[in-house]
Amino acid sequence: MRDQLEKSLSIAWKDIRVYYLKAPNFTYGLLMPVALYLAFSVAGNLSPATLISGLVSLVVLFGATSIEAVAVVSERMSGTFERLLVAPVSLRWILFGKALAGSAFGPVTAVLALVPVLLVSGASVANPLMILVAIAVSSFAFACLGILASAYSKWIPEAQMYSNFLRFPMAFLGGAFIPVSSMPPILQTLSRLLPLTYSIEALNVGMASSVPTLTFAVDIVVLAIFSVACLLFSERTLRRKIG
Amino acid sequence: MENAIIVTDLYKSYGELKALNGVSFAIEKGSIFGLLGPNGAGKSTTIKILTGLIQPTSGHVSVLGHDVSSQPLQVKARIGVCPEASNIYEEMTARDNLIFSAELYGVPKADRIKRADELLEEFRLADRTKDVVVGFSRGMKRRLTIACALVHRPDLLFLDEPTTGLDIQSARQLRDEVRRLNGEGVTVLLTTHYLEEADQLCDSIAMINRGKVVTIDTPENLKACVTGEHVVEVSFDAPMKEGEFASIGCVVEAHRLGDKFRLTYSGRDPVGDLVDFARERGVGIVSLNTLRPSLEDAFLKLTGLNPEEAVKDKEPQKPRRNDG
Repeated sequence: MRDQLEKSLSIAWKDIRVYYLKAPNFTYGLLMPVALYLAFSVAGNLSPATLISGLVSLVVLFGATSIEAVAVVSERMSGTFERLLVAPVSLRWILFGKALAGSAFGPVTAVLALVPVLLVSGASVANPLMILVAIAVSSFAFACLGILASAYSKWIPEAQMYSNFLRFPMAFLGGAFIPVSSMPPILQTLSRLLPLTYSIEALNVGMASSVPTLTFAVDIVVLAIFSVACLLFSERTLRRKIG
Repeated sequence: MENAIIVTDLYKSYGELKALNGVSFAIEKGSIFGLLGPNGAGKSTTIKILTGLIQPTSGHVSVLGHDVSSQPLQVKARIGVCPEASNIYEEMTARDNLIFSAELYGVPKADRIKRADELLEEFRLADRTKDVVVGFSRGMKRRLTIACALVHRPDLLFLDEPTTGLDIQSARQLRDEVRRLNGEGVTVLLTTHYLEEADQLCDSIAMINRGKVVTIDTPENLKACVTGEHVVEVSFDAPMKEGEFASIGCVVEAHRLGDKFRLTYSGRDPVGDLVDFARERGVGIVSLNTLRPSLEDAFLKLTGLNPEEAVKDKEPQKPRRNDG
């Protein structure tokens, strides 16, 4: 277990160096959510705290999935994924390492977005630790979602299509800019199937409450279950594809 | 002699397609074993199963005493795999690629840098240690790929088409490396399109076609099985046509090969006739060689492929020359 975890961490660090530490990735991870935030903050009537929760969740979503969605498929195309597969590390731990790399990227972009927005809006954070926990767990969940999109794809444009197909509806149905409670009942039910909803809800709690609530705990558990499910589906899909 | 690999009755199907159809062979520890066959014969599928990359439909594979299906990680920890296409990270430096491989194979932290530098020296990459791989030549990338496969000092090395696409000098250096590693006790399983390469390197060869092993033997024994065919190669100092050789009675077939002709004959030796043939036409003979059956001849005979199929299935053969 420890041996596999160490190798998984090596894969994560390799992915961070190869894929993530590049300026364009940070730009993409930030650009789209910030644009959405500005559009909704001008047109909408949400409180700064609610808007910040939505913005941070979107930054984490776009940051963690943007590279992760293509990381596995691009490695499979270049042949480097086979290098990982013939090494003494199981597919499950390979995917875990890749998810760790993606989930390390999310918080960095989230902090880059959060700090200036807090300074400009004057909003305050009730419990910074809860915010950090919510960001970390959300990042991991979204990175796992990116891996799932990548596992189902044969080539990079297909992976990007799948990830956008997941991300954009989530951005509008997950409560980032339109509160879930104000949506029609059917959309409220639908939003409960989306991990972004739980991420935003957990961040809302961290922005408003100084102590963890049951809602916060449920959100974190749901995101954790979602992560495990994505990894297991990815593993099963890749195993079937590899043969 | 102990076996490094024992393959028993291996089958692999992809839907209706039977990629492997009852493959069995054993490889002695410390030997160089060649797996030859045309594209689609089942070589890559066999290697993928042996390295734990894919699961067989049925059959049993033991590698270094471990069952590959039930103990894949134990097997993977002791083998090195160099696939046909270089699989190094081009955005990373040569040294970082090696260190990453060392991490994956559990080389102790204190030894990783030392081992990486040793391999960079051995594979003549020491002057490019800190350069990212993207600027490397194909030969350098190939050497680095093999170095990465050796970082944990494996007992068994899989080399899939190691010299494909390399220039003559790089290919020769790589073959020297393979011999050196084998001399140090590493068992090598090699697939190659270059039959002369297999002839020079391998202790024994399995010829595989349509998912079945056609034969397994030493290169010399395989060549010895081709009897009854005699060939001379001749070149002249003036242009000639294939049809002109019909006037020599014992010549059965004539093929132009670049600036020379390969003549298959039966019965008596045609050398005297060829000298007369040249004299009659007022041309000089530049070279005249009598050829023994080659591994390629054995390959064609044993796999049942005709030369056209073999040319279609294989990459262009290098000129026959001894570069060992």
